[in-house]
Amino acid sequence: MCCPGCEAVASLIAGTGLDAFYRLRTTVNDTPAPPAPATLYEAYDNVDAQNGFIADLDDGWRRATLLLGGVSCAACTWLIEQDLGRQPGLRAPNVSLARQTLSVDFDPAQTRPSALFHRLLALGYDPHPWHARQAAQLLDQEQRSALRQLAVAGLAMMQVGMFGIALHAGDLQGMAPEYRSLMRWVSLAIASIVVIYSARSFFRNAWVNLVHGRLVMDLPVALAIGLAYLASAWATLRNTGEVYFDSIAMFTFFLLLGRFLERQVRRREYLRQTDLQSLLPASCLRREGDDWVSVATRQIAAGDLLLIRSGDVIPADAGVASGSGAVDEAAFTGEQMPRSVGPGDSVSAGTLLSEGTLELRATAGPESSRLSVMLELLGRAGEARPTLARLADRVAARFVGTLLLVAALVAAYWSQVAPERAFWITLSVLVVSCPCALALATPTALTAATAWLRRQGMLLTGENTLEILNSITHVVFDKTGTLTQGQFRIAETRSAQPEQALALAAALEQFGRHPIARAFSAVTPARGLTQAEEIPGRGIRGHYQGTRVAVGTPEFVREIHPKLGPAPDNTAHWIALATTGEQLAWFALEDTLRSDAASVVATLKARGLHIALLTGDASPAGPALARQLGMDSGRYGASPEEKVAWIRELQQSGARVMMVGDGLNDAPVLAAADCAFAVNQATDLAKSSADGILLANSLRPLARSFTAAHRCRRIIWQNMVWALAYNGCAVPLAAAGWVPPWAAAVGMSASSLLVVLNSLRLQ
Amino acid sequence: MDSLFILIPIALVFCVVAIKLLLWAIDNGQYDDLDKEAWRILMDDKDAGEHDDRD
Repeated sequence: MCCPGCEAVASLIAGTGLDAFYRLRTTVNDTPAPPAPATLYEAYDNVDAQNGFIADLDDGWRRATLLLGGVSCAACTWLIEQDLGRQPGLRAPNVSLARQTLSVDFDPAQTRPSALFHRLLALGYDPHPWHARQAAQLLDQEQRSALRQLAVAGLAMMQVGMFGIALHAGDLQGMAPEYRSLMRWVSLAIASIVVIYSARSFFRNAWVNLVHGRLVMDLPVALAIGLAYLASAWATLRNTGEVYFDSIAMFTFFLLLGRFLERQVRRREYLRQTDLQSLLPASCLRREGDDWVSVATRQIAAGDLLLIRSGDVIPADAGVASGSGAVDEAAFTGEQMPRSVGPGDSVSAGTLLSEGTLELRATAGPESSRLSVMLELLGRAGEARPTLARLADRVAARFVGTLLLVAALVAAYWSQVAPERAFWITLSVLVVSCPCALALATPTALTAATAWLRRQGMLLTGENTLEILNSITHVVFDKTGTLTQGQFRIAETRSAQPEQALALAAALEQFGRHPIARAFSAVTPARGLTQAEEIPGRGIRGHYQGTRVAVGTPEFVREIHPKLGPAPDNTAHWIALATTGEQLAWFALEDTLRSDAASVVATLKARGLHIALLTGDASPAGPALARQLGMDSGRYGASPEEKVAWIRELQQSGARVMMVGDGLNDAPVLAAADCAFAVNQATDLAKSSADGILLANSLRPLARSFTAAHRCRRIIWQNMVWALAYNGCAVPLAAAGWVPPWAAAVGMSASSLLVVLNSLRLQ
Repeated sequence: MDSLFILIPIALVFCVVAIKLLLWAIDNGQYDDLDKEAWRILMDDKDAGEHDDRD
């Protein structure tokens, strides 16, 4: 238990007898938000706000669909379904782990949507209304159609394989012609379904690319399937030659399976991508007449007057109408220190009001805020990123050309020399050179390496990440939140009486909401402090034993104790503690370094990589950290634009850059780098623009990803060499007429199997 | 051996039925969430939990 949030969740789970959850879960859950005020979700009881995610059912019940944050494994889905199923007025709860959505029916007479939201929040999940996205629905349809093709190919493969075994046995020990013919006809029927239904995507892909003048891997695949099928059908009709129905079905199935698994990874990531609504609060207070009324965030329009209290996320771009406070813009700018705002200043949607109370005049609805524009830009940046042409496709273009040329020459030669053998020899050449092994060489190795890395705690989402990793020369780290944990701690206390000073400072900081205040939470505060008040962005003052006392920035403390000297040095962030007559202490605050940061940097350096630090923090802590970790270079105090420019400069000088970051402000930088990784606690936006996500709270998988990429490239290389060498040897033999088609089919299957087994070594 | 002429078509009928069933299950959304269903068998539901208490 680390906080009241965890405790509330744990006692609720235990209290309802659902503690099996702790036995079943496979990952540790996110730390839940502290209990929310009861009014947060009331806006959703309003019928207007329910539009879109709540639908009427025939029997008077209504069905709500919600997007859930924090669903991490199957035990979560069990917990939610069990708990909601026991609530009165709720029925048929169903959580989708892949989509992170919950669908549940409720009886409007017995319960209200806000009660449902609160129950979910109490369980430790973060509910949002779900709105259908067209792209996501399209993805669902694709998934189903891919599954259907795979299922048909799989079942057909088993059937055809069975008859194939009988036919091969018949070849060896003899078989009555009528049975052979029967089995061939049956195989033909089943293989027809595979070719027409399951393999159609290969044909379509090959054709579309061919029309645009591109030779892709799907072309030889389509050719091999198509020609082997036509030849086998011909052989069945004429009752001569060889049939390859089993090879066709097996080949189709394995290729579809590889693509299905690849698609799964991408779909999962896509569905988990954040959209606007999960970054903004569910509701906020809007002025209507003389009252503040809770409305859903979507209902906000330009010109509305909004009331934002300390701890709220600002729902829309707005100008401050009255009040003062401090806004935490870490998500946008990476700056940890909140910015003080007053009347006339403007604030952005998605930032957090860390202190004070503001009345805001909205300048735009949430849909057209800076945040949503940024999200859109990012989506486009992701699409436009130059994807490395796949190695297999590049090889395929030349390979297919050569292959077709050779086949044509062979056909021409044999039709002159021995016309009756010409067809079967040409077919042997095509079957022998069937690029099955070549087609499987890359995807099987990539799938195996990706699966291995996933078990090591790294989820790869980019298509070409493993290929790009091999060419990386520079690794650039963000500081706050990536190398450090983004939490302050007291590094040093300079005082004549350190214990009393700490206790007094802790007593004052109890009233602070600034991140610095948390550094003092472990200290037992002194008693007897009165009239404490926090001045946003500066410090806290109060009365203690009859005298005024203050803790905060040196300028702030000088207001009550003008004789306060300068800070001891400028290597850390210093705050002062003083009474009107006496300077009591200086505290140096530092961000805590991740425990494995040093070892990971050392491992990466040992690989010969250039390690750099890139941070928006202009304080001396940056260079100090770079020195401590033994980094090669650094850029400090950079704005997001400067960060991107710095990365581009590196790239122009020939470097291939990998960026590791966490914040919303890092998102453009992550998108600009050749390859980007986001740490576990990164904002969803940073995750969505990254090629890889660290699954655990550790940097160690970073080093492993380089190992995996290296091994993966070696395996692909071996596979390619094998596939090409096999084809190189077999094609001349087949062209000479020495390879009967059945031997060609066996050779083809064996070489594909070898490639698959070689790739599995990566596991 | 003549029985093959009857048995193989019967096997085909079974195969077609199996494919039909599978396609129906896919369209019914039973394979939409491959992550959760793999775990469902390990989860006690409410009734099983009460049964454990009585033992």
